[in-house]
Amino acid sequence: MATRPGQARLTPLSWAALSLAALIMVAPLLWTLLLSLKHNADLVGHSGAALHPPYTLENYGAIFGNSLTLRWLLNSTIVALGQTAGVLILASLAGYAFARLDFPLRRTLFVIVLLGLAVPSQAVILVQHQLFAWLHLHNSYPGLILPGLVAPFGVFFMTTYMRGIPAELDEAAMLDGASRWTIFWKIIVPLTLPAQSTLAVFTFLGAWNDYWWPLISATKSNMYTLTVGLAAAQMNYAQTSGLGYLMAQAVFASVPIFIVYIVFQKQIVRAMAGAAVR
Amino acid sequence: MKRIGAALLMALSLGSCAKPDHRTHLYLQRFFGECGAEYGGSTDVAKAEGECGIITALVNRFNAENPDIHIDVNVVAWPGYPQLTAQVAARDPPDLVTMHEGVISDYALKGLLEPVDGYLKMGGVNEGDFTDAARAGVTINGHAYGLPWDTHGGLFHVNTALFAKAGLMRGGKPVLPTTADELISQARQFEQRTGKPYLIQSNVGDTAYAARNLYTYMMAQGAVLFPDAHHIKLNTPIGVQVATFFKRLNTERLGTLNMDTPAAIAAFINGEGGIYPTGTWMIGSFQQEATTPGRPLYKSYAVFPYPRLWGEHVEYVSGHSWVVPTRKRTPQQRAAIARFFRFMAAHNFDWTRTGHIPAFKSVLADPRFASLPHRADIAPLAEIGRPVPSTIQRQNAIEGIVGEEAVAAFTGQKSIERALSEAERRVDDLLAEID
Amino acid sequence: MTAQRDWRALLFVAPFLALYLLILVFPLLRGLWLSFSQVDLFGAGHFVGFGNYARLLHDPVFGTSLVNTFEVTLMIVPVLTIISLLLALALNRAGKGAAIMRGIFFASAVLSVTIVTLIWRFVLAPDAGLLGEAWKALGWEPLPFLSDVHLALPALAITTIWWSVGFPMLLFLAGLQQIPEDMYEAAALDNSNSWTTFWRITVPALRRTLILVVMLQTAAQLQLFGQSQLLTAGGPSGASRTAVLFLYESAFGRWELGYASAAAEVLFLIILAVTLTQYWATSRSEASRGD
Repeated sequence: MATRPGQARLTPLSWAALSLAALIMVAPLLWTLLLSLKHNADLVGHSGAALHPPYTLENYGAIFGNSLTLRWLLNSTIVALGQTAGVLILASLAGYAFARLDFPLRRTLFVIVLLGLAVPSQAVILVQHQLFAWLHLHNSYPGLILPGLVAPFGVFFMTTYMRGIPAELDEAAMLDGASRWTIFWKIIVPLTLPAQSTLAVFTFLGAWNDYWWPLISATKSNMYTLTVGLAAAQMNYAQTSGLGYLMAQAVFASVPIFIVYIVFQKQIVRAMAGAAVR
Repeated sequence: MKRIGAALLMALSLGSCAKPDHRTHLYLQRFFGECGAEYGGSTDVAKAEGECGIITALVNRFNAENPDIHIDVNVVAWPGYPQLTAQVAARDPPDLVTMHEGVISDYALKGLLEPVDGYLKMGGVNEGDFTDAARAGVTINGHAYGLPWDTHGGLFHVNTALFAKAGLMRGGKPVLPTTADELISQARQFEQRTGKPYLIQSNVGDTAYAARNLYTYMMAQGAVLFPDAHHIKLNTPIGVQVATFFKRLNTERLGTLNMDTPAAIAAFINGEGGIYPTGTWMIGSFQQEATTPGRPLYKSYAVFPYPRLWGEHVEYVSGHSWVVPTRKRTPQQRAAIARFFRFMAAHNFDWTRTGHIPAFKSVLADPRFASLPHRADIAPLAEIGRPVPSTIQRQNAIEGIVGEEAVAAFTGQKSIERALSEAERRVDDLLAEID
Repeated sequence: MTAQRDWRALLFVAPFLALYLLILVFPLLRGLWLSFSQVDLFGAGHFVGFGNYARLLHDPVFGTSLVNTFEVTLMIVPVLTIISLLLALALNRAGKGAAIMRGIFFASAVLSVTIVTLIWRFVLAPDAGLLGEAWKALGWEPLPFLSDVHLALPALAITTIWWSVGFPMLLFLAGLQQIPEDMYEAAALDNSNSWTTFWRITVPALRRTLILVVMLQTAAQLQLFGQSQLLTAGGPSGASRTAVLFLYESAFGRWELGYASAAAEVLFLIILAVTLTQYWATSRSEASRGD
């Protein structure tokens, strides 16, 4: 039976290797979960206590007992959704232009976008902070969302994928009299659904786990995002005397992204299933 | 799609609800963690435990006792300076901020902090009552730039059960060395009799530990670490002698080598070593272990300032303080700050239940303080504590550099001469950049 | 090519470009200006020309941090690319089992760097760490990953690979989806075995994605920061301090904004050189292959 070009035939050896790898992946995560279900005092000096009962939900209770947690969750959600939507739109439009259209300075502009990949965020963060202070955008949702929209990765990524779509499809549509916009919207975008899903997951993840920018931009506690708020809530030496709580925070913060992943990974699977039927 | 849009719009407007009220508002920013779940609206300071609990209860109580003032609290992750710097740069700083004394100079010398002499006077706080260490920590060029809140420094936390096994207990108290040679011989005795390391050291990721050791024992021998505001002097005979001593401890395996702070804390709690030289901030946790039956430290815990090994008995210390960033304020806000200072000064004893040393002499003398466990043993820290000169800037960064090079010297990664001279070079470079 | 079409095309790219120029390029240029000044976070500072760069040249701490950055990138990128490619190939199939496995390998990517370093600290710390216990059970002396000069960078590399494998895997999966069906049919017609199919069809088809992954990961790992700061604090004595950690310490710790900006410019130029070299090398060979 010929395997598909993109599929490896899995020998028992590969299955074993895969399972081992999965174990290495999962073991620390499981440990995190177990730690989150333990009373903090039981863990002081004995993190191995996570491996046996008693277990408790009190750390999760403490998270919700903090009156601002839900607010932080809302802030993170708004910022992450806003950034994801924004990046998908901007990167798709720009990616289409770079991949398909010809305009003056195209190559130069693309290189300028590539340049952005080489800029560490720590290098520009202080000047960005000054800029946003001047624009009076701190402690606001636009202030938290905008910097994430300029990540050149999205444009680079979408350009690469759009280039991979055969140009004959465009030309056929153009012969039918379709405009650039129609080609973009009706042909290119649907064909890049797996890439869009991947970019969405990546952007959402980046926005959700972003720490430094929200730290210095949202300085009022009701505007904190979840990462900043949870970090602020920790006492010194939380690793020792508050380990259970710390891990509960980690699990709590991870759940929404995992949900996003599950939703979007269906897109990837559907595309796969579609390919098999065709 | 429309519904999502409407929901988002509603959420956005949530941020802008404000009820008008006639109280004076102050914005307070602090670390120490968030414990609203346990202490939410509590005003019972006497029942509160731990740094977070006590400070939360104190501020709640202030709000309750002063209905015409309201303090809004913003909790930040320790140490909070990236945000504070950003807030100051955006010209929107808080009114009251917790600040380590070593950091005051960075902000004060740029005019970013208000001198607080006026507030102290208005609030009737007696500056003469500050301990020497506290006053030295907050005063720059004759002016106080913060209300001192506590003094904290290194302590020898001792496992007395292991000490007994090692034959190092006398009259119910641990025998601590009085000279460097005594420490070596006692350490060897300890290891022989118990099979465990004498010192539990957090060498990994804890530059403050090594810096504290170097600073303390150089200061004890009268070394002037900072001859002027732009130079540090470490590569001196005294510096080399201190570094050689600590290196010897490591080569003779008298202390642990590869632990970071969480590992060291865990080791001490599990009774895996004799002494853990960490600070005042751990007294609460260790005392809890000492009162829990079945734990290795049960009834086996004592704590003392760093022993004198050479020269005088002094120790490097730092402290927390309350500072007031510069900004326009109404007279009502100024009066409110003064009242806050008065309140906090009056409650300094409550804060000392965390393990930190009080900033006021009257609290030191207070019998309630002496009756707290171990306080009589560590009270001398207020007398022998010496901060770095308050005109030196970037003390945190300097401590990081010195600590990094000191660890390299102590663990033999670099030769002592090279490590100390590198430290000098790096710190001098840093200080040279400051106008 | 009419003028109107050109103008329309720019409209597609304008929204992104406008924000990009304002929020990224402008701060970058301003950072360049700052790098020529001796200025701390609050002062007006004064112009010093190339003074900061000269100081960087003679700063062994900066030099070490650059070397560390290169080393750790070389440790991470090849291994990460291969592992994620293999995972994508193995899991590119329908079915619940594969879906669950994909979820497992993506799970580490959802964690923040704070939690990842917390977990791996526990795994790598010699006393009572997971690896340490396993080593001791086998009768060996545990390796002091976090306190040995030669092991600190590998510790960062291992942690990063564990954390980062999910996303490149997704990229490869998305790329595999775009391999057209005819290739599959042609392979079946030719009766070629899976190994030949892999080398002659899959890899070339994945070329674009492969290039993408390598370029992105290289640029990203050259900017490694959180793991260095949180797992080892750049230690022991700077053995695992990366360039961005150096930058951060200069700016936020020492308030040396001018100096930090100069370091940022140097790092930026290095990453740029690497990224552009990769881009041009691969697009030139693409052109010569008549792709």
